[in-house]
Amino acid sequence: MSAITTDDKTYNFDVVRAFTICAVVYLVVGALVGVYIASELAWPVLNFDIPYITFGRLRPLHTNVVIFAFGGCTLMATSFYVAQRTCHVRLWSDKMAWFTFWGWNLVMVLAVITLPLGMTSGKEYAELEWWIDIIIAVVWLSYMFNFIMTLAIRKTSHIYVANWFFLGMMIMITYLHVGNSLAIPVDFTKSYSMFPGVQDAMIQWWYGHNAVGYFLTAGFLGIMYYFIPKQANLPIFSYRLSVLHFWALMFGYAWLGAHHLQYTALPDWTGSLGAAVSIAMIIPSWGGALNGLLTLSGAWHKLRDDYILRFLIISLAFYAMSTFEGPVMSVKTVNALSHYTDWTIGHVHSGALGWVAMVSIGAIYHMVERMWNTKIYSTAMMGAHFWLATIGAVIYVCAMWVSGIMQGLMWRATDDYGNLTYTFVESVAAMHPFYAMRAIGGMIFLLGSIIMLYNIVLTIRNADKQPNMATAKA
Amino acid sequence: MIDSLREHLSTDWAALTFIDWFGLLVVVILATLMFVLYVYVFSPGNKEKLESHRDFVLKDDLTDGENNHGRK
Repeated sequence: MSAITTDDKTYNFDVVRAFTICAVVYLVVGALVGVYIASELAWPVLNFDIPYITFGRLRPLHTNVVIFAFGGCTLMATSFYVAQRTCHVRLWSDKMAWFTFWGWNLVMVLAVITLPLGMTSGKEYAELEWWIDIIIAVVWLSYMFNFIMTLAIRKTSHIYVANWFFLGMMIMITYLHVGNSLAIPVDFTKSYSMFPGVQDAMIQWWYGHNAVGYFLTAGFLGIMYYFIPKQANLPIFSYRLSVLHFWALMFGYAWLGAHHLQYTALPDWTGSLGAAVSIAMIIPSWGGALNGLLTLSGAWHKLRDDYILRFLIISLAFYAMSTFEGPVMSVKTVNALSHYTDWTIGHVHSGALGWVAMVSIGAIYHMVERMWNTKIYSTAMMGAHFWLATIGAVIYVCAMWVSGIMQGLMWRATDDYGNLTYTFVESVAAMHPFYAMRAIGGMIFLLGSIIMLYNIVLTIRNADKQPNMATAKA
Repeated sequence: MIDSLREHLSTDWAALTFIDWFGLLVVVILATLMFVLYVYVFSPGNKEKLESHRDFVLKDDLTDGENNHGRK
């Protein structure tokens, strides 16, 4: 499958390699589906009157593939890689690691089959039906148990902070997934949530925001804390700040879900509490972002020719921006304008494309060079990928910002007599150019991802052809 | 102003359920632990100990890791 490095004698990198390749493939697939559904919104003819490819069916497929297939495979690859290298031991169980790999991919295949067929629990970011949720829980527990046991048999005295972030993510996601997925099955294709009415909404957003907070933030901060100092070959700016960052994040994120339900049947104070803690969370979030950025203090020139480092550092700029924007949007006054508009979509994608994807891409390029003991096939292609990803993300996010704020303003505009100034259809027509712009931004990002896949394939093929070079590291 | 603030902050303690008290207790304990963590992390006496791990990941190359990087 791959060139064998000296590290393979100690570590299980085969499973990490498998997760890494899957992550790149899923990035392309997830972005492709995203571009298609964005195009459907701009040009509805693309629905072709086929129910399986309508926006409603493909949107949950897009979110599941990018979050759980791409994001999940990236987290599993990096956490197994980092745990082994920082604990100086092989994974506790190779068989369990492979069980996790095949089980996770089985879940993704089931998502590809069931979601376009319309089988959904109707819960955002947790659409898969109850029996798939059970498979997810079993696979996730195998992943967490193997990770914990690897830490337990470590040969180092210290557990590096990146592993804390990974472990915190795993523990929180376990109880979030189980709690949110509690349902009464009707048959294999349908179930209903165990929680009624507004309690279900609260559980949904307790889960939904923490999927962002723990899966897409804490886990990827684990990536940041290993790969930025490693790629820059510099010590992290402040280890004390990283400890505070971890505990403040773990303590704070669990409170935020209610800010998704401002002006609903939920008690008013819960939304206020969610917004207040959201504002407080700017402090640890920016502390963590600065911790990563200031690691390059006095060595910013490294960004000039190191594209991997560029991906990692620009992700922190997006992370800082998103973690400021989110709390601002949670405040009731701003929320009254932003909620239910495309501003939310812009915010989500500045985090997803700018933070999660960029830090993942940087980590994947880094791991590919180390695990196949080679250099990336084409630096020029990596550079092109960097600019396409950055420009695509910026176009996407800006289009949604403008569209969302315009929507909010049009919906609330009234004349002197208190009548609505615009009909809903007028606001839809006004959004069209921005929907087209969003689709183009997504296409640019997708093009970058395809270039990455091509570059990675050529890198691996070249490494396999040069076994002598690959083993030379010893 | 003061009356309205007092009214805003008034609590019917008798109406709190077991779950309310449990939640309150958890919040107070966690907030106290966070405070203790801040004191611990920023205490000058702990600076050297904590910051000694700053370059941890830079030591995971072949020969200069702790315990020879765990290699057999």
